[in-house]
Amino acid sequence: MGSWSVLIVLLCYLALLFALAFWAERNTANRWIKNPYVYALSLAVYCSAWTYYGSIGVAANSGIDFLTIYLGPVIALPLWMFIMTRIIKIAKNNKIASIADFVSLRYGNDRQLGALITIICIFGIVPYISLQLKAVSETFQLLSGSTQTAENIFLDTTFYISLLLAVFIAFFGTLATDASRSRRGLITTVAFESVIKLVFFLVIGSYVCFALFDGPSDIYNKAALLEGFDTLVTFNGLEHGISWFYMIMLSFLAIFLLPRQFHVAVVENEDPKYIKKAIWFFSLYLLLFNIFVFYIAFAGKLSLGTGVNQDYYSLLLPLAEGNTGLALMVFIGGFSAVISMVVVSTLALSTMVSNNLLIPYGLLDQLFQTNPETNTRYIRNVRRVSIFVLVVTAYLFYYYFSSQLSLFSLGLIAFVIIAQLAPSFFLGLFWNRGTATASKIGMIAGFAVVVFTLILPRTTLGLGSNTDFITEGYFGIAALKPFGLFGMDMLSVEAHALFWSLLVNLSLYCLFSLLIVANYRERNFGELFVHVNSVIGNDEQGYVWRGEAYVEDVKKVLNRFLGNQKTEKEFHQFYKRNGIDPNNQKADARLINFSEKLLTGTLGSVSARMLIGNVAKEHPISLQEVLNILEDTKATRASNKILTQKSKELTQLAGQLQSANDELVHQDRLKDEFLDTVAHELKTPITSIKAAAEVLVDDEGDMPSEYKENFLKNIQEDADRLQTLIGNILDLEKLSNGRQELQLEHRSVRETIQKAVRGVHQLAEKKGIQIITAEISDAMAYYDEDRVGQVLTNLLSNALKFTEAEKGKVKLKAKSESQQVKVIVEDNGQGIAEEDFQYIFEKFYQSKYQNTRKPQGSGFGLAICKKIIESHKGNIWADPDFSGGARFVFTLPIHSN
Amino acid sequence: MKKRNLQKLAALGVLLVVFLNIPLILIFSEPVSVMGIPLFYFAIFTIWLLAIIVSYTILKNKHG
Repeated sequence: MGSWSVLIVLLCYLALLFALAFWAERNTANRWIKNPYVYALSLAVYCSAWTYYGSIGVAANSGIDFLTIYLGPVIALPLWMFIMTRIIKIAKNNKIASIADFVSLRYGNDRQLGALITIICIFGIVPYISLQLKAVSETFQLLSGSTQTAENIFLDTTFYISLLLAVFIAFFGTLATDASRSRRGLITTVAFESVIKLVFFLVIGSYVCFALFDGPSDIYNKAALLEGFDTLVTFNGLEHGISWFYMIMLSFLAIFLLPRQFHVAVVENEDPKYIKKAIWFFSLYLLLFNIFVFYIAFAGKLSLGTGVNQDYYSLLLPLAEGNTGLALMVFIGGFSAVISMVVVSTLALSTMVSNNLLIPYGLLDQLFQTNPETNTRYIRNVRRVSIFVLVVTAYLFYYYFSSQLSLFSLGLIAFVIIAQLAPSFFLGLFWNRGTATASKIGMIAGFAVVVFTLILPRTTLGLGSNTDFITEGYFGIAALKPFGLFGMDMLSVEAHALFWSLLVNLSLYCLFSLLIVANYRERNFGELFVHVNSVIGNDEQGYVWRGEAYVEDVKKVLNRFLGNQKTEKEFHQFYKRNGIDPNNQKADARLINFSEKLLTGTLGSVSARMLIGNVAKEHPISLQEVLNILEDTKATRASNKILTQKSKELTQLAGQLQSANDELVHQDRLKDEFLDTVAHELKTPITSIKAAAEVLVDDEGDMPSEYKENFLKNIQEDADRLQTLIGNILDLEKLSNGRQELQLEHRSVRETIQKAVRGVHQLAEKKGIQIITAEISDAMAYYDEDRVGQVLTNLLSNALKFTEAEKGKVKLKAKSESQQVKVIVEDNGQGIAEEDFQYIFEKFYQSKYQNTRKPQGSGFGLAICKKIIESHKGNIWADPDFSGGARFVFTLPIHSN
Repeated sequence: MKKRNLQKLAALGVLLVVFLNIPLILIFSEPVSVMGIPLFYFAIFTIWLLAIIVSYTILKNKHG
């Protein structure tokens, strides 16, 4: 395949990535972009060319060790729920944009510490990036079949590919000046590339296993005959096992500390909940990436021998078969692995370089323009230049040095260098006493140990210069052999370097943290980081600051970077959130802290603090005071919580009182209405009695005797009505107050019903209404017979009243259920209007549809029935589903309790 | 997340350290194969897969 056609495919692929990133930036809320799987896939930026090609070389060459690179993350992932959620919370609280920001903030926003971490990261990562470029260049040559190396940089395609990548990063990485904001476009391409590289790797793995060979067993059986096979699939002694342990530890640290991992896992995290998915999903991803490594490695060994670069077996195997299409696919997969790693690493490093190195050391003065656009443009350009410088440096490193070093060893050196951040990073999260000085001393010493035990000897070996010091020890002292300090030569080179450097680093960190007391600012952030899950870590209250500053001055600083509009908006929200009077002239600790955070994303925490420090006169506080204030904050928050609780309870109580009062007022009104109605009801018969009596008194003997009799009859009837009415009222009152004693006994419901029917029999006959009692079962219940008889009589007379003469039918039913007897009285009369169901059992309720002569009843009947049945612990209701008349149902208990 | 589930995850992490290191892993350090998979790789991949299944089971609960 000609190099031009490969190049065209490459450019098309890059164009696709540009388009994808562009689309993703436009559609950030799209569910294909905003989901936990994209987050989990973006973590797979961990799998660089080193995984894609390097693992195979290691598996073929030295055996099982490549697995350690993935086992560390596999162990770390379940623990993410503790550690990563905590880190993300702190980072989001403080608008952290890089690991340098994170660590330096923990140690009181220490400027030197941020710069030191940046430098360490550059030392570790730039060669690592160049290693990726090397992979692109070598695979490009293999595929295009050209063997000669470019005469100078400008004839080298890799150079132009690197520049294209730099353009990509510079464009999509600096869209927002706030570096803590997420870059959806970039992350989407990274996730896309993660899919591509895994799928292509699985395809080539299956091809090798099943197309070139006859399944895994075939490869194993043939490979087992190779010389030295046993040592490549097992441990070589106990020492190997110990190195294995340290290598797992190394990758465990790397998954947290590599700037690109910190970037995708923390800075680009949109929702801490995504971690739940990532934990198992990413682990599964890594597993899939490792399944075919063994087979590709040994298939390569069997088919191609060891005379070629074993890293590239996956590419060489299809090429040897003449399958260029498949080879091109493998190449694109590897290219994807390279791009995502280079893009994210460069982005993370450039943020660190600008925010922790360039701006706080020198460029800050340039930023005192008053125009926010000029400032943001300036910051953006600083980042863009850093991106280009980093990529070009990586390229130059590749061009001049990396031809001598293998993929695997350079990658491991990077890991060991980055591991020097571990003590400050991890202990800083859980131990509040660590100090900036101790952190710096530990890191520098650890890094020095790495230089002497790893970087220096490795590069001298690679460059082939004088290597006496490796065999003899530095200065000819045998105890200072770089690969076996103090005679400890049983570990692998990297494990040895990791062990000594971390030992020195950790010891010095702990020692100096205990020797030198932290200043108040370090301790303040120490408390904030360690207690991020409690009250003081969670809001603006935890930051201790005392001094004098004017809100206007602070605003002026913010205006320079955020613009007037954004500053006002942020302040407005801040005032609202904290309940502060916006007219306050003086700034308090919360406002200072808030303003620093606003600037942190753009300038880094160190510069943000310096800028705000310029306009705020801070008064020094002693450590003891800081601790006291924090203690107070905690106490106030706790008592605030109690107060809120109490006031909630009070509100609840007041609500209850209010509703009780409403109920009383309602009852009172009912009582009034009741009295009104009673008075009215009493007045009617009395008036008519009085009238009749007056007529009789005025009679002078000339009234015919049948008239007289009629008047007397009227008086008698009205007196009867009065008596019934008063009897009803007394009944109701007795029942309401529970003064009525019930004569409860076990009785036959049938008998009671028959007795009641007998009582109304005459009336029914007179009206020509049929009473049907066929469906009454022989049930026993526990009740007061007189009272229930009263209920039945009432219901029956209602039924008789509302049914038509001669056509009416009243049906009585009774059946026993598990705990109760159900009695039903139904008729085929005019029925109950829908709106009456709710009220018919209320005192004096008379339907407005009762358009016949008013006193059809006293209005008490059903109310009394209800009281009686309820005093039996039964229920009474009108069945709303019954059509063609009215149906009343009541229940009576079978047993005494 | 429930404290109990957090502790399950922590226990899983600790178990993985133990099972993926010497001396336990030395048991599988033999040049034989299981269905064409070298025993050592087979052991590592099995532990790995179990870790994925266990963490998935712990984490799948939305409210857990």
